[in-house]
Amino acid sequence: MTSIEERVKKVVSRLLGINESQITDDSNFVRDLGAESIQSIELVAAFEEEFDIEMDEEAALQVKTVGKAMEFIKKDIAEQH
Amino acid sequence: MRRLCVFEDEKYCNLYPLTFLRPVFELKCGCTSLLDKILRNYKGAEVCFFVRDYLSPTFKKKFPTAPINDLGILGNSDLLLINGRWLVVDSAVEMSGPEEIGLCDGDVVYARVNRKTAALCSADNIQIFLEQIKSKIKTRSISTDLISYPWDLINHNGRIIEQDFNSLGKSGIEGKFSSFSTVYGEEDLVWVAQSAEVQPFVVIDTTHGPVIIDEGATIFPYSRIEGPSYIGRETYIYGANVREGTAIGPMCRIGGEVEESIIHGYTNKYHEGFLGHSYLAEWVNLGALTTNSDLKNDYSQVQVYIRGGLTDSNETKVGCYIGDHTKTSIGTFFNTGTVVGIMCNLVGSGGILPKFVPSFVWFLNNRFYKGYGFNAMLNTARAVMARRNRSLSDEDVELMRFIHTLTKEERQTALKKGRKT
Repeated sequence: MTSIEERVKKVVSRLLGINESQITDDSNFVRDLGAESIQSIELVAAFEEEFDIEMDEEAALQVKTVGKAMEFIKKDIAEQH
Repeated sequence: MRRLCVFEDEKYCNLYPLTFLRPVFELKCGCTSLLDKILRNYKGAEVCFFVRDYLSPTFKKKFPTAPINDLGILGNSDLLLINGRWLVVDSAVEMSGPEEIGLCDGDVVYARVNRKTAALCSADNIQIFLEQIKSKIKTRSISTDLISYPWDLINHNGRIIEQDFNSLGKSGIEGKFSSFSTVYGEEDLVWVAQSAEVQPFVVIDTTHGPVIIDEGATIFPYSRIEGPSYIGRETYIYGANVREGTAIGPMCRIGGEVEESIIHGYTNKYHEGFLGHSYLAEWVNLGALTTNSDLKNDYSQVQVYIRGGLTDSNETKVGCYIGDHTKTSIGTFFNTGTVVGIMCNLVGSGGILPKFVPSFVWFLNNRFYKGYGFNAMLNTARAVMARRNRSLSDEDVELMRFIHTLTKEERQTALKKGRKT
């Protein structure tokens, strides 16, 4: 079974067009992965879809790194599933 | 003295999203709002208002001394109740006369009620009060212009601009008018206000109706304005083709082509792109090349999303209706008869947008998103308004928060549609 961490990286890879091997927990969405403002909106929606969760968009958009996104998503999964 | 009561009936929701942030009588037709026309007919009358409760705090700021939603006042004096959807022109009902209710297709248009009759009623809202007086006063059916849908405002706009021009009683060129510009048609059908300016190479065409250029407006070179049209205070027209039946302003910035449309104050459409048979509320910004269809290629009648479903407009020419503070990106295309809520961010991706966009959403890459959230939307509105020395009041914010909640369900439906799971 694919872990949450792997699924997060797959979503980021697909949406931002970056090889998964280049994505680390410390990768900053904007500075390291080049996410545009519009892509951050798409990322939140893609995570919601992938994990069947509802994310608070204002809180989610404060998350700057892939690792922090994983933590955020795990918390939402625990609360909503 | 008989008191004038202007009220909203329950059909305000036919005019959503344009009436989310304002009473129905603050919608515009011609050079002014429906309310301005009502008050013009009853100069000096003591006035009170009945609006949706959640609009009361913001509306109160505009009429601080007028009673709002004060049912107690109804039994204290003789009344003339006027439906805020009534497009009152020069044939308003007399203030004095016998008790009478005027009905148009079953809707109360006006009611002349004496104090004694009003005092017999015990209603906890204005709708119930109207129902109660219907059983006490003789009614008569009248045929008149009661605004029921957004396209009614557009359809009447040209005719009402002509009537407003006649009511204004002003014509001629009082402001600056370049000798390199011209009036094509009767010069008496133009009024250029004293502080307005028409720069070189502008054509004002009055062959089909009057053109009013209000105080502080500037018409920049290579513009053409065809009557009947109204260019509101402090509005700038940038080389635009403003066609018949258009009312703009105040404080708008307009380019491209605009036909038979109503544009509220502080809304911008700086650049090229077509806007036709459309109604834009306040603080809307249309990006360059934003364009709407107002006619289907098979010339069939247009359906419009009203109160949760598609309604036949019985019109072949219908543009788009866009709520306050909504923004479009460059190259956004609207389908015929599109309705867009308030505070949306629409990003054109080459295709045509859905016919209904709920309030407070983003639309990009052919699906809806939540965007940055409600507070970020407020911050954008604050930034935009500061550019025109305006600000959001606490009451404005609370109203928007209320509408955010009111529209939650339709927004979630749209958001879920785009999801694969």
